Amino acid sequence: MRRLIYVKRAHGASIEGEVLVMREGFSPRYDLDRISGIISRIGHSIEGESIHNKILVIPTVKGGVAGGWAFFDLIHKNISPKALVFGKLNPVMVQGAVLAGLTVTEGWSEDLLSILKNGDHVRIDPEKKMLEIFS
Amino acid sequence: MEMIKANNVGSMKLNDLELAMLRGDHGVAVKESIEFQIEVGSFFDAKEFVPITNAHVMGDIEVMGDGGLGILKKMSSSAAKCRVPTSSNARCMHFGDFDNLRADETEVQKERKLIGYLKDMNIAPTDTCINYQTVYQPKLGEHVAWGDTGTVIYANSVLGARTNYEGGKASFAAALTGRTPAYGFHLDECRKGTFLVKVDAQLNDFADWGALGKIVGHPHQDYFAVPVFEGIKEVPLSDSLKHLGASLASYGSLAMFHMVGITPEARTLSEAFKGDLPKESMTVKNADIEAIYSAYKYKDGANNIVVFSGPQLSLFEIQTLANLFKGRKVHKGMSAVITTNHAIYSDALRLGYIAELELAGVQILQGVCFYILQRLSEIRKENDWTNLISNSGKIVNTITAHKFNTVLRRTADCVDIACTGVLK
Repeated sequence: MRRLIYVKRAHGASIEGEVLVMREGFSPRYDLDRISGIISRIGHSIEGESIHNKILVIPTVKGGVAGGWAFFDLIHKNISPKALVFGKLNPVMVQGAVLAGLTVTEGWSEDLLSILKNGDHVRIDPEKKMLEIFS
Repeated sequence: MEMIKANNVGSMKLNDLELAMLRGDHGVAVKESIEFQIEVGSFFDAKEFVPITNAHVMGDIEVMGDGGLGILKKMSSSAAKCRVPTSSNARCMHFGDFDNLRADETEVQKERKLIGYLKDMNIAPTDTCINYQTVYQPKLGEHVAWGDTGTVIYANSVLGARTNYEGGKASFAAALTGRTPAYGFHLDECRKGTFLVKVDAQLNDFADWGALGKIVGHPHQDYFAVPVFEGIKEVPLSDSLKHLGASLASYGSLAMFHMVGITPEARTLSEAFKGDLPKESMTVKNADIEAIYSAYKYKDGANNIVVFSGPQLSLFEIQTLANLFKGRKVHKGMSAVITTNHAIYSDALRLGYIAELELAGVQILQGVCFYILQRLSEIRKENDWTNLISNSGKIVNTITAHKFNTVLRRTADCVDIACTGVLK
Protein backbone atom coordinates (compact mmCIF):
# COMPACT_ATOMS: atom_id res chain seq x y z
CA MET A 1 0.00 0.00 0.00
CA ARG A 2 1.25 3.51 -0.69
CA ARG A 3 0.15 6.94 0.43
CA LEU A 4 0.86 10.32 -1.15
CA ILE A 5 1.62 13.50 0.74
CA TYR A 6 2.20 16.82 -1.00
CA VAL A 7 4.80 19.40 0.01
CA LYS A 8 4.65 23.16 -0.51
CA ARG A 9 8.19 23.76 -1.73
CA ALA A 10 10.95 21.40 -2.84
CA HIS A 11 14.46 21.39 -4.26
CA GLY A 12 16.87 18.68 -5.30
CA ALA A 13 16.91 15.23 -6.83
CA SER A 14 14.32 12.51 -6.47
CA ILE A 15 15.40 10.19 -3.67
CA GLU A 16 14.11 7.36 -1.48
CA GLY A 17 15.06 5.86 1.83
CA GLU A 18 14.26 5.29 5.50
CA VAL A 19 12.93 8.11 7.62
CA LEU A 20 14.03 9.31 11.04
CA VAL A 21 11.27 11.38 12.60
CA MET A 22 11.99 14.24 14.99
CA ARG A 23 9.26 15.51 17.27
CA GLU A 24 10.73 18.97 17.85
CA GLY A 25 12.73 21.69 16.13
CA PHE A 26 16.20 20.85 14.86
CA SER A 27 19.53 22.61 14.72
CA PRO A 28 22.67 20.77 13.57
CA ARG A 29 24.64 22.85 16.06
CA TYR A 30 22.42 22.51 19.13
CA ASP A 31 21.36 18.91 18.71
CA LEU A 32 23.93 16.98 16.69
CA ASP A 33 27.39 15.60 17.40
CA ARG A 34 28.92 16.60 14.07
CA ILE A 35 31.84 14.19 14.52
CA SER A 36 29.75 11.03 14.85
CA GLY A 37 26.49 12.10 13.19
CA ILE A 38 24.56 11.07 16.32
CA ILE A 39 21.90 13.27 17.95
CA SER A 40 23.57 14.25 21.21
CA ARG A 41 21.24 16.76 22.84
CA ILE A 42 20.03 15.34 26.15
CA GLY A 43 16.28 14.71 25.95
CA HIS A 44 15.97 15.10 22.17
CA SER A 45 13.26 12.83 20.75
CA ILE A 46 15.84 10.85 18.76
CA GLU A 47 18.79 11.24 21.15
CA GLY A 48 21.40 8.57 20.38
CA GLU A 49 20.23 7.95 16.79
CA SER A 50 22.51 8.39 13.79
CA ILE A 51 21.24 10.65 11.02
CA HIS A 52 23.58 9.08 8.46
CA ASN A 53 21.80 8.07 5.25
CA LYS A 54 18.37 8.82 6.72
CA ILE A 55 15.61 11.04 5.36
CA LEU A 56 15.05 13.40 8.28
CA VAL A 57 11.45 14.41 8.98
CA ILE A 58 11.61 17.61 11.01
CA PRO A 59 8.58 19.67 12.11
CA THR A 60 10.45 22.95 12.44
CA VAL A 61 13.80 24.62 13.10
CA LYS A 62 15.74 26.18 15.98
CA GLY A 63 18.52 28.73 15.65
CA GLY A 64 20.79 29.07 13.69
CA VAL A 65 23.11 29.76 10.77
CA ALA A 66 25.25 26.69 11.41
CA GLY A 67 23.22 24.63 8.94
CA GLY A 68 24.58 26.81 6.14
CA TRP A 69 27.89 24.96 6.31
CA ALA A 70 27.08 21.97 8.52
CA PHE A 71 25.34 19.76 5.93
CA PHE A 72 28.21 20.19 3.45
CA ASP A 73 30.61 19.27 6.26
CA LEU A 74 28.55 16.17 7.07
CA ILE A 75 28.79 15.09 3.40
CA HIS A 76 32.58 15.40 3.61
CA LYS A 77 32.63 13.33 6.80
CA ASN A 78 30.38 10.71 5.18
CA ILE A 79 27.75 11.04 7.93
CA SER A 80 25.20 13.12 6.04
CA PRO A 81 21.47 12.50 5.96
CA LYS A 82 19.89 11.71 2.57
CA ALA A 83 17.27 14.44 2.58
CA LEU A 84 15.46 16.96 4.79
CA VAL A 85 11.66 17.00 4.96
CA PHE A 86 10.60 20.04 6.98
CA GLY A 87 7.21 21.15 8.20
CA LYS A 88 8.54 24.69 8.55
CA LEU A 89 12.06 25.81 7.80
CA ASN A 90 14.27 28.87 7.70
CA PRO A 91 16.45 29.97 4.75
CA VAL A 92 19.60 28.50 6.31
CA MET A 93 18.29 24.97 5.87
CA VAL A 94 17.70 25.65 2.17
CA GLN A 95 21.07 27.38 1.78
CA GLY A 96 22.77 24.44 3.53
CA ALA A 97 20.90 21.81 1.53
CA VAL A 98 21.60 23.51 -1.82
CA LEU A 99 25.32 23.74 -0.99
CA ALA A 100 25.43 20.09 0.09
CA GLY A 101 23.31 18.87 -2.83
CA LEU A 102 20.68 17.45 -0.45
CA THR A 103 17.01 17.25 -1.35
CA VAL A 104 14.97 19.60 0.85
CA THR A 105 11.22 20.17 1.14
CA GLU A 106 8.90 22.38 3.21
CA GLY A 107 5.24 22.12 4.17
CA TRP A 108 3.07 19.00 4.46
CA SER A 109 -0.45 18.43 3.12
CA GLU A 110 -0.98 16.11 6.14
CA ASP A 111 0.78 15.88 9.49
CA LEU A 112 3.73 13.58 8.85
CA LEU A 113 4.46 13.25 12.56
CA SER A 114 1.23 11.33 13.04
CA ILE A 115 1.71 9.24 9.88
CA LEU A 116 5.38 8.26 9.86
CA LYS A 117 7.48 6.32 12.33
CA ASN A 118 11.22 5.70 12.33
CA GLY A 119 12.25 3.18 9.69
CA ASP A 120 9.32 3.79 7.33
CA HIS A 121 10.29 3.91 3.67
CA VAL A 122 9.47 6.98 1.55
CA ARG A 123 10.29 8.44 -1.85
CA ILE A 124 10.54 12.20 -2.47
CA ASP A 125 9.78 13.62 -5.90
CA PRO A 126 10.70 17.33 -5.75
CA GLU A 127 9.52 17.94 -9.32
CA LYS A 128 5.98 16.87 -8.43
CA LYS A 129 6.28 18.24 -4.86
CA MET A 130 5.25 14.82 -3.67
CA LEU A 131 6.24 12.40 -0.94
CA GLU A 132 5.29 8.76 -1.39
CA ILE A 133 5.01 6.55 1.69
CA PHE A 134 5.43 2.77 1.30
CA SER A 135 4.14 0.47 3.98
CA MET B 1 21.27 25.55 -13.79
CA GLU B 2 19.08 25.87 -16.84
CA MET B 3 20.30 27.45 -20.08
CA ILE B 4 20.49 31.22 -20.00
CA LYS B 5 17.90 32.01 -22.68
CA ALA B 6 16.36 35.16 -21.31
CA ASN B 7 16.24 37.41 -18.29
CA ASN B 8 14.16 34.84 -16.40
CA VAL B 9 16.12 32.16 -14.57
CA GLY B 10 14.39 29.92 -12.02
CA SER B 11 11.73 32.14 -10.47
CA MET B 12 13.88 35.25 -10.88
CA LYS B 13 14.13 38.02 -13.44
CA LEU B 14 17.72 39.20 -13.83
CA ASN B 15 19.06 42.55 -14.98
CA ASP B 16 22.00 42.93 -17.38
CA LEU B 17 24.62 42.96 -14.62
CA GLU B 18 23.18 39.83 -13.04
CA LEU B 19 23.06 38.08 -16.42
CA ALA B 20 26.70 39.00 -16.98
CA MET B 21 27.56 37.52 -13.58
CA LEU B 22 25.68 34.35 -14.51
CA ARG B 23 27.51 34.08 -17.84
CA GLY B 24 30.82 34.20 -15.99
CA ASP B 25 31.88 37.67 -17.16
CA HIS B 26 32.84 38.55 -13.56
CA GLY B 27 34.79 35.38 -12.86
CA VAL B 28 34.00 31.86 -11.76
CA ALA B 29 33.45 32.64 -8.06
CA VAL B 30 30.83 35.27 -8.87
CA LYS B 31 29.19 32.96 -11.42
CA GLU B 32 28.96 30.11 -8.88
CA SER B 33 27.72 32.53 -6.24
CA ILE B 34 24.85 33.89 -8.30
CA GLU B 35 23.91 30.38 -9.48
CA PHE B 36 23.67 29.37 -5.82
CA GLN B 37 21.63 32.46 -4.96
CA ILE B 38 19.18 31.77 -7.83
CA GLU B 39 18.63 28.21 -6.58
CA VAL B 40 17.92 29.42 -3.05
CA GLY B 41 15.84 32.38 -4.26
CA SER B 42 13.75 30.15 -6.51
CA PHE B 43 12.94 27.84 -3.57
CA PHE B 44 11.27 30.85 -1.94
CA ASP B 45 9.81 32.05 -5.26
CA ALA B 46 11.88 35.26 -5.23
CA LYS B 47 11.15 37.41 -8.29
CA GLU B 48 14.34 39.47 -8.34
CA PHE B 49 17.56 40.41 -6.61
CA VAL B 50 17.89 43.38 -4.29
CA PRO B 51 21.22 45.26 -4.05
CA ILE B 52 22.85 45.24 -0.61
CA THR B 53 25.15 47.76 1.08
CA ASN B 54 26.86 45.44 3.55
CA ALA B 55 27.53 41.74 4.16
CA HIS B 56 28.49 39.83 7.30
CA VAL B 57 29.93 36.38 6.66
CA MET B 58 29.75 33.37 8.93
CA GLY B 59 32.44 30.75 8.63
CA ASP B 60 34.88 29.06 10.98
CA ILE B 61 36.66 25.75 10.75
CA GLU B 62 34.51 24.15 13.45
CA VAL B 63 31.30 24.56 11.47
CA MET B 64 32.52 24.52 7.86
CA GLY B 65 35.11 21.74 8.11
CA ASP B 66 37.59 20.86 5.39
CA GLY B 67 34.92 20.95 2.69
CA GLY B 68 33.93 24.53 3.47
CA LEU B 69 37.57 25.55 3.75
CA GLY B 70 38.05 24.17 0.24
CA ILE B 71 35.23 26.37 -1.05
CA LEU B 72 36.80 29.49 0.47
CA LYS B 73 40.21 28.53 -0.92
CA LYS B 74 38.71 28.21 -4.39
CA MET B 75 36.88 31.53 -4.04
CA SER B 76 39.94 33.43 -2.89
CA SER B 77 42.30 31.82 -5.42
CA SER B 78 40.03 33.02 -8.23
CA ALA B 79 40.83 36.58 -7.11
CA ALA B 80 37.20 37.20 -6.10
CA LYS B 81 36.63 40.42 -4.14
CA CYS B 82 33.63 41.60 -2.16
CA ARG B 83 31.46 44.15 -3.94
CA VAL B 84 30.30 45.67 -0.63
CA PRO B 85 31.96 46.30 2.77
CA THR B 86 31.99 42.93 4.54
CA SER B 87 32.78 41.85 8.11
CA SER B 88 33.19 38.39 9.65
CA ASN B 89 31.35 36.71 12.49
CA ALA B 90 32.78 35.31 15.73
CA ARG B 91 35.12 32.39 15.26
CA CYS B 92 35.76 29.12 17.02
CA MET B 93 39.09 29.66 18.72
CA HIS B 94 41.02 32.21 20.73
CA PHE B 95 44.57 32.66 19.46
CA GLY B 96 46.03 32.96 22.93
CA ASP B 97 47.59 31.02 25.74
CA PHE B 98 44.64 29.51 27.61
CA ASP B 99 45.66 25.86 27.90
CA ASN B 100 42.34 24.82 29.40
CA LEU B 101 40.50 26.09 26.30
CA ARG B 102 43.00 25.11 23.62
CA ALA B 103 42.04 24.15 20.09
CA ASP B 104 43.65 21.34 18.08
CA GLU B 105 46.86 22.60 16.52
CA THR B 106 45.91 21.29 13.07
CA GLU B 107 42.60 23.19 13.28
CA VAL B 108 44.43 26.33 14.45
CA GLN B 109 46.50 26.21 11.28
CA LYS B 110 43.34 25.76 9.18
CA GLU B 111 41.59 28.64 10.94
CA ARG B 112 44.58 30.90 10.22
CA LYS B 113 44.42 29.89 6.54
CA LEU B 114 40.68 30.60 6.55
CA ILE B 115 41.26 34.11 7.90
CA GLY B 116 43.84 34.62 5.16
CA TYR B 117 41.24 33.68 2.53
CA LEU B 118 38.85 36.25 4.02
CA LYS B 119 41.50 38.94 3.76
CA ASP B 120 42.24 37.91 0.16
CA MET B 121 38.57 38.58 -0.67
CA ASN B 122 38.75 41.97 1.06
CA ILE B 123 36.60 40.80 3.98
CA ALA B 124 37.47 42.53 7.26
CA PRO B 125 37.98 39.72 9.83
CA THR B 126 36.25 41.56 12.66
CA ASP B 127 35.34 38.21 14.26
CA THR B 128 32.26 39.58 15.91
CA CYS B 129 28.61 38.72 16.41
CA ILE B 130 27.88 42.29 17.55
CA ASN B 131 28.75 44.04 14.29
CA TYR B 132 25.60 46.15 14.80
CA GLN B 133 27.12 47.63 17.96
CA THR B 134 30.71 48.02 16.83
CA VAL B 135 31.13 47.84 13.04
CA TYR B 136 28.16 48.93 10.92
CA GLN B 137 24.63 50.12 11.65
CA PRO B 138 22.38 49.96 8.56
CA LYS B 139 19.53 52.45 8.39
CA LEU B 140 15.77 52.05 8.16
CA GLY B 141 14.91 50.20 4.93
CA GLU B 142 18.54 49.43 4.04
CA HIS B 143 19.10 45.95 2.56
CA VAL B 144 22.02 43.93 3.91
CA ALA B 145 23.01 40.22 3.97
CA TRP B 146 24.06 39.09 7.43
CA GLY B 147 25.11 35.62 8.43
CA ASP B 148 24.39 35.37 12.14
CA THR B 149 20.94 35.01 13.70
CA GLY B 150 21.49 37.54 16.48
CA THR B 151 22.76 40.12 14.01
CA VAL B 152 19.81 39.49 11.67
CA ILE B 153 17.10 39.92 14.28
CA TYR B 154 18.77 43.08 15.63
CA ALA B 155 19.08 44.56 12.12
CA ASN B 156 15.47 43.83 11.17
CA SER B 157 13.92 44.78 14.49
CA VAL B 158 15.94 47.51 16.15
CA LEU B 159 17.46 49.20 13.10
CA GLY B 160 14.65 48.59 10.61
CA ALA B 161 17.16 47.27 8.09
CA ARG B 162 16.28 44.26 5.93
CA THR B 163 17.98 40.89 5.91
CA ASN B 164 17.29 37.17 6.00
CA TYR B 165 19.46 34.62 7.76
CA GLU B 166 22.34 34.20 5.29
CA GLY B 167 24.09 31.02 6.42
CA GLY B 168 27.28 29.45 5.13
CA LYS B 169 27.98 30.09 1.46
CA ALA B 170 24.94 32.41 1.21
CA SER B 171 26.65 35.26 3.07
CA PHE B 172 29.81 34.91 0.96
CA ALA B 173 27.77 34.75 -2.25
CA ALA B 174 25.97 37.97 -1.29
CA ALA B 175 29.31 39.66 -0.51
CA LEU B 176 30.72 38.67 -3.92
CA THR B 177 27.64 39.59 -6.00
CA GLY B 178 26.58 42.61 -3.91
CA ARG B 179 22.97 41.44 -3.89
CA THR B 180 20.64 38.85 -2.46
CA PRO B 181 17.34 37.29 -3.58
CA ALA B 182 14.33 39.40 -2.55
CA TYR B 183 12.26 37.11 -0.35
CA GLY B 184 11.39 36.92 3.34
CA PHE B 185 12.33 39.97 5.41
CA HIS B 186 13.38 42.01 2.38
CA LEU B 187 9.66 42.23 1.52
CA ASP B 188 7.07 44.43 3.26
CA GLU B 189 4.55 41.62 3.66
CA CYS B 190 6.87 39.48 5.81
CA ARG B 191 7.62 42.33 8.21
CA LYS B 192 4.24 42.76 9.81
CA GLY B 193 3.54 41.44 13.29
CA THR B 194 1.92 38.02 13.52
CA PHE B 195 1.17 37.83 17.26
CA LEU B 196 0.95 40.12 20.28
CA VAL B 197 3.00 39.80 23.48
CA LYS B 198 1.73 41.91 26.37
CA VAL B 199 4.60 42.42 28.80
CA ASP B 200 3.45 42.88 32.38
CA ALA B 201 6.81 42.11 33.98
CA GLN B 202 9.86 43.89 35.32
CA LEU B 203 12.88 43.28 33.10
CA ASN B 204 15.85 44.47 35.14
CA ASP B 205 18.65 42.25 33.91
CA PHE B 206 19.90 40.94 30.56
CA ALA B 207 18.96 37.46 31.76
CA ASP B 208 15.33 38.66 32.20
CA TRP B 209 15.32 39.73 28.56
CA GLY B 210 16.73 36.36 27.56
CA ALA B 211 14.04 34.64 29.65
CA LEU B 212 11.40 36.70 27.83
CA GLY B 213 12.91 35.53 24.54
CA LYS B 214 12.63 31.91 25.66
CA ILE B 215 9.01 32.31 26.82
CA VAL B 216 8.03 33.80 23.46
CA GLY B 217 10.40 31.99 21.10
CA HIS B 218 10.14 28.41 22.32
CA PRO B 219 6.42 27.96 21.49
CA HIS B 220 6.81 29.86 18.20
CA GLN B 221 9.48 27.96 16.27
CA ASP B 222 8.67 29.63 12.98
CA TYR B 223 11.07 31.83 11.01
CA PHE B 224 8.20 33.91 9.64
CA ALA B 225 6.54 34.57 13.02
CA VAL B 226 6.98 38.21 14.15
CA PRO B 227 6.09 38.98 17.78
CA VAL B 228 4.92 42.47 18.72
CA PHE B 229 5.84 43.43 22.28
CA GLU B 230 3.56 45.88 24.02
CA GLY B 231 3.84 47.30 27.53
CA ILE B 232 7.60 47.85 27.78
CA LYS B 233 7.65 50.80 30.16
CA GLU B 234 11.24 52.04 29.88
CA VAL B 235 13.36 52.44 26.77
CA PRO B 236 15.53 49.30 26.71
CA LEU B 237 19.30 49.44 26.34
CA SER B 238 20.88 48.20 23.14
CA ASP B 239 22.35 45.33 25.18
CA SER B 240 18.89 44.39 26.49
CA LEU B 241 17.48 44.20 22.96
CA LYS B 242 20.59 42.26 21.94
CA HIS B 243 19.86 39.59 24.57
CA LEU B 244 16.15 39.50 23.72
CA GLY B 245 16.83 39.13 20.00
CA ALA B 246 19.52 36.49 20.43
CA SER B 247 17.20 34.45 22.63
CA LEU B 248 14.21 34.76 20.27
CA ALA B 249 16.40 33.73 17.34
CA SER B 250 17.84 30.82 19.28
CA TYR B 251 14.64 29.31 20.71
CA GLY B 252 12.28 30.22 17.90
CA SER B 253 14.49 30.76 14.86
CA LEU B 254 12.78 34.15 14.72
CA ALA B 255 14.27 36.92 12.57
CA MET B 256 12.24 39.96 13.58
CA PHE B 257 10.21 41.49 16.41
CA HIS B 258 8.48 44.79 16.96
CA MET B 259 8.30 46.74 20.21
CA VAL B 260 5.55 49.33 20.25
CA GLY B 261 6.91 52.84 20.72
CA ILE B 262 10.51 51.57 20.67
CA THR B 263 11.41 49.96 17.33
CA PRO B 264 11.19 51.96 14.09
CA GLU B 265 8.45 50.05 12.29
CA ALA B 266 6.16 49.97 15.34
CA ARG B 267 5.45 53.56 16.33
CA THR B 268 1.94 52.30 17.13
CA LEU B 269 0.37 48.89 17.64
CA SER B 270 -1.56 49.35 14.42
CA GLU B 271 1.60 50.10 12.44
CA ALA B 272 3.29 46.97 13.82
CA PHE B 273 0.40 44.82 12.53
CA LYS B 274 0.07 46.95 9.36
CA GLY B 275 -3.56 47.63 10.19
CA ASP B 276 -4.52 43.98 10.83
CA LEU B 277 -5.64 42.58 14.17
CA PRO B 278 -3.30 40.15 15.93
CA LYS B 279 -4.36 36.53 15.42
CA GLU B 280 -2.87 35.48 18.73
CA SER B 281 -2.05 37.16 22.00
CA MET B 282 -0.05 36.15 25.07
CA THR B 283 0.82 37.90 28.33
CA VAL B 284 4.12 37.58 30.17
CA LYS B 285 4.12 38.33 33.91
CA ASN B 286 6.83 38.41 36.58
CA ALA B 287 5.83 34.89 37.65
CA ASP B 288 6.51 33.60 34.13
CA ILE B 289 10.03 35.07 34.24
CA GLU B 290 10.67 33.60 37.69
CA ALA B 291 9.39 30.21 36.51
CA ILE B 292 12.07 30.19 33.83
CA TYR B 293 14.81 30.57 36.46
CA SER B 294 13.35 27.99 38.82
CA ALA B 295 13.04 25.40 36.02
CA TYR B 296 16.83 25.20 35.71
CA LYS B 297 18.24 22.59 38.11
CA TYR B 298 21.85 22.09 39.10
CA LYS B 299 23.55 18.74 38.87
CA ASP B 300 26.17 17.53 41.34
CA GLY B 301 29.64 18.39 40.16
CA ALA B 302 32.87 19.56 41.74
CA ASN B 303 33.78 21.87 38.87
CA ASN B 304 31.53 24.36 37.13
CA ILE B 305 31.84 27.33 34.82
CA VAL B 306 30.21 30.76 34.60
CA VAL B 307 30.11 32.13 31.04
CA PHE B 308 29.37 35.63 29.80
CA SER B 309 29.03 35.20 26.04
CA GLY B 310 26.48 34.63 23.28
CA PRO B 311 26.38 37.37 22.04
CA GLN B 312 29.84 38.82 22.64
CA LEU B 313 29.91 41.49 25.34
CA SER B 314 29.72 45.22 24.68
CA LEU B 315 32.05 47.67 26.39
CA PHE B 316 29.35 48.55 28.91
CA GLU B 317 28.69 44.90 29.77
CA ILE B 318 32.42 44.43 30.41
CA GLN B 319 32.54 47.62 32.48
CA THR B 320 29.67 46.29 34.62
CA LEU B 321 31.42 42.95 35.13
CA ALA B 322 34.72 44.65 35.97
CA ASN B 323 32.90 46.53 38.73
CA LEU B 324 31.14 43.40 40.00
CA PHE B 325 34.34 41.31 40.06
CA LYS B 326 36.46 44.12 41.57
CA GLY B 327 38.31 42.96 44.67
CA ARG B 328 36.96 39.41 44.39
CA LYS B 329 38.43 36.10 43.17
CA VAL B 330 36.96 33.29 41.13
CA HIS B 331 36.40 30.47 43.63
CA LYS B 332 38.20 27.12 43.63
CA GLY B 333 36.32 24.67 41.46
CA MET B 334 34.77 27.51 39.47
CA SER B 335 35.85 29.02 36.15
CA ALA B 336 34.68 32.29 34.66
CA VAL B 337 34.93 33.24 31.00
CA ILE B 338 33.99 36.35 29.03
CA THR B 339 34.04 36.62 25.24
CA THR B 340 34.12 39.80 23.19
CA ASN B 341 35.49 41.07 19.91
CA HIS B 342 38.94 42.55 19.24
CA ALA B 343 37.69 46.14 19.14
CA ILE B 344 35.93 46.01 22.52
CA TYR B 345 38.84 44.08 24.05
CA SER B 346 41.30 46.77 22.98
CA ASP B 347 39.23 49.51 24.54
CA ALA B 348 38.51 47.50 27.68
CA LEU B 349 42.26 46.91 28.01
CA ARG B 350 42.97 50.64 27.63
CA LEU B 351 40.35 51.47 30.25
CA GLY B 352 41.63 48.97 32.82
CA TYR B 353 38.58 46.68 32.79
CA ILE B 354 40.58 43.71 31.47
CA ALA B 355 43.19 44.07 34.23
CA GLU B 356 40.45 44.17 36.88
CA LEU B 357 38.80 41.05 35.51
CA GLU B 358 42.06 39.14 35.07
CA LEU B 359 43.04 40.01 38.63
CA ALA B 360 39.84 38.29 39.73
CA GLY B 361 40.75 35.22 37.67
CA VAL B 362 38.34 35.73 34.79
CA GLN B 363 39.49 34.49 31.37
CA ILE B 364 38.70 36.84 28.48
CA LEU B 365 38.54 35.41 24.98
CA GLN B 366 38.81 37.60 21.89
CA GLY B 367 37.00 37.18 18.58
CA VAL B 368 35.08 34.07 19.63
CA CYS B 369 31.78 32.99 21.03
CA PHE B 370 31.99 30.34 23.75
CA TYR B 371 29.44 27.87 22.43
CA ILE B 372 31.14 27.52 19.04
CA LEU B 373 34.63 26.75 20.43
CA GLN B 374 36.42 24.03 18.49
CA ARG B 375 36.59 20.71 20.45
CA LEU B 376 34.26 22.09 23.13
CA SER B 377 33.00 18.65 24.20
CA GLU B 378 36.59 17.60 24.93
CA ILE B 379 37.30 20.91 26.68
CA ARG B 380 34.28 20.28 28.94
CA LYS B 381 35.55 16.81 29.82
CA GLU B 382 39.16 17.93 30.39
CA ASN B 383 38.00 20.66 32.78
CA ASP B 384 35.48 18.30 34.39
CA TRP B 385 32.77 20.96 34.14
CA THR B 386 29.24 19.86 35.02
CA ASN B 387 27.12 23.02 35.27
CA LEU B 388 27.40 26.01 32.96
CA ILE B 389 25.84 29.11 34.47
CA SER B 390 25.19 32.18 32.31
CA ASN B 391 23.16 35.36 32.09
CA SER B 392 22.66 34.63 28.37
CA GLY B 393 19.31 33.09 27.49
CA LYS B 394 20.85 32.11 24.19
CA ILE B 395 23.91 30.26 25.39
CA VAL B 396 22.04 28.10 27.90
CA ASN B 397 20.15 26.80 24.85
CA THR B 398 22.80 26.63 22.15
CA ILE B 399 25.49 24.76 24.04
CA THR B 400 23.50 21.69 24.94
CA ALA B 401 24.90 19.41 22.20
CA HIS B 402 28.10 19.45 24.27
CA LYS B 403 26.26 18.00 27.28
CA PHE B 404 26.72 20.88 29.70
CA ASN B 405 23.97 21.17 32.32
CA THR B 406 22.97 24.78 31.76
CA VAL B 407 21.48 27.24 34.25
CA LEU B 408 20.24 30.77 33.53
CA ARG B 409 20.91 33.31 36.26
CA ARG B 410 20.96 37.12 36.52
CA THR B 411 24.27 38.93 35.99
CA ALA B 412 25.12 39.74 39.62
CA ASP B 413 24.10 36.22 40.68
CA CYS B 414 26.44 34.78 38.05
CA VAL B 415 29.31 36.80 39.50
CA ASP B 416 28.42 35.70 43.05
CA ILE B 417 28.30 32.07 41.95
CA ALA B 418 31.70 32.43 40.25
CA CYS B 419 33.25 34.00 43.36
CA THR B 420 31.65 31.85 46.07
CA GLY B 421 31.17 28.51 44.36
CA VAL B 422 27.68 28.41 45.87
CA LEU B 423 25.25 27.25 43.19
CA LYS B 424 22.24 29.38 43.99
